[in-house]
Amino acid sequence: MSGSAIVTLILASVVLYGGLFITVRKAVKSRNKDEE
Amino acid sequence: MQRDRWDSRTAFILAAIGSAAGLGNAWRFPYMAYSNGGGAFLIPYFIALLTAGIPLIVLEFSMGQSTQRGAPGALAKAGRKFEGFGWWAVLSGTIITSYYAGVMAWAWDFLAGSFTLGWADDAGTFFYEEVLEISSGPGVLGGFSTSVLIGLIITWIVIYFILRNGAQSVGKVVMITVPLPIILMGILLIRAVTLPGAVEGLNYFLEPNFSMLTNPSVWIDAYSQVFFTLSLGFGIMIAYASYMPEDSDIINNALITVFANSGISFMAGIAVFGTLGYMAETQGVAISEVATAGVGLAFVVYPNAISLLPGGGFVVGLFGFVFFAMLLSLGIDSAFSIVEAGVAALKDKWGGSKRKVTLFYSLFLFIVGLLFVTKAGLYWLDIVDHYVNTYGLVFAGLSEAIIIGWYYDTTKLRNYFNSVSDYQFGSWWDIMIKFVTPIMLIILLVTELMADIGTPYGGYELKYLVYGGWIGVIGLLIVASYFLSRQRGLDDTDV
Repeated sequence: MSGSAIVTLILASVVLYGGLFITVRKAVKSRNKDEE
Repeated sequence: MQRDRWDSRTAFILAAIGSAAGLGNAWRFPYMAYSNGGGAFLIPYFIALLTAGIPLIVLEFSMGQSTQRGAPGALAKAGRKFEGFGWWAVLSGTIITSYYAGVMAWAWDFLAGSFTLGWADDAGTFFYEEVLEISSGPGVLGGFSTSVLIGLIITWIVIYFILRNGAQSVGKVVMITVPLPIILMGILLIRAVTLPGAVEGLNYFLEPNFSMLTNPSVWIDAYSQVFFTLSLGFGIMIAYASYMPEDSDIINNALITVFANSGISFMAGIAVFGTLGYMAETQGVAISEVATAGVGLAFVVYPNAISLLPGGGFVVGLFGFVFFAMLLSLGIDSAFSIVEAGVAALKDKWGGSKRKVTLFYSLFLFIVGLLFVTKAGLYWLDIVDHYVNTYGLVFAGLSEAIIIGWYYDTTKLRNYFNSVSDYQFGSWWDIMIKFVTPIMLIILLVTELMADIGTPYGGYELKYLVYGGWIGVIGLLIVASYFLSRQRGLDDTDV
């Protein structure tokens, strides 16, 4: 795969799946806090 | 009467993701990216998400959650005269479900064909001649295509049984129908990227061509993709959010929905272009000769690519089954979410038993959808789909943004959703709702209108576009929205 395609793949994955991870983690933390 | 409630926040988020992630994620986004600068398309796509997608989905969640009403009831809270715009959104969805169920019927036929390898020799012939039994044009209905009719009946039975107990039953179903297509897509993705030629396909999908960013149509495509992919303008997100307690988090729920939906689209792009790269190499042609979108990709090109897989008939049937099961599970939660938006609106207005309203509404949509399982169904689907997406949904989104932005206090609504959310939005959200989103949606509308005036859509005779599009969609939306908004309902008798 070309270098620019690999960079696109990495950047898009970081934004999309990283964003998903952060927001889900925040929701889980918030739920745990509510349960305490 | 006690309002329907989700079992949990997870159920709501999964239902919203399931609604947003539909067939378009698999068959529209990959081609949209490929034809608009590959990886460079992600720049306007992310900007469109930030300036229109996220502000609008937060708006819809807030409207539903704060008013505890479906789209018409929620807009009526901003002013009784705006209720008709809510009905416009719901009716646009109604029209879409009537043919969306037809597309799912084709997928049932192909799923069954995976056992007999019916489509493996030539998916195009199987699709057009055996499944659709397609007629010579929209004027020749030619009766029903039996196998598609059976698929349509199955689809509506499934939708009814999922929806009959409302948010409770939907909440249980989405625990399966949302993860399932992601798992199936993961299987297809792994197979795709390990095929010879896949790298070439991925280069076409991902290599950025930044010069394309100076082309306004790329930006228009990015905004249109973002608008359609998030199921905005149907009233679905408003109805779903209305089943959440008023103090539930809004911003984070919206962000999770957006990231998950876009993540599924991106995954689909890799699976599709990896497979198309293999197909192009096997047939000795350029990727541009096999790359396509929509019905052609899902029911002709992709099945043909699967039939070229090494390993014999069992492997072809297995991956065909995985692909069409993925399409069905992607599509079913989008389909029932649109129906639910209509059921919520009808129940809010006139009350009644959930099961009865769902049954009658599903039966009504089934009957309307019969047009799309005739032998001319594909032509009518194409015409109606163009008009309802281009004008129906975009106008619904535009009217929501204008009503809330200009006739309601955006600061008040922002203070509300900030007060219940972990993350906070500043006044930039007001600017997006008041200016950026309406301007981009107006540009979308005007661009498409100019194109339609210049050249008859799809090369169809003008009379079919007038009957199916201008009268059948636009005329119907105007008349029915006005009529429904003029009827007295439960909220009118409360005061």
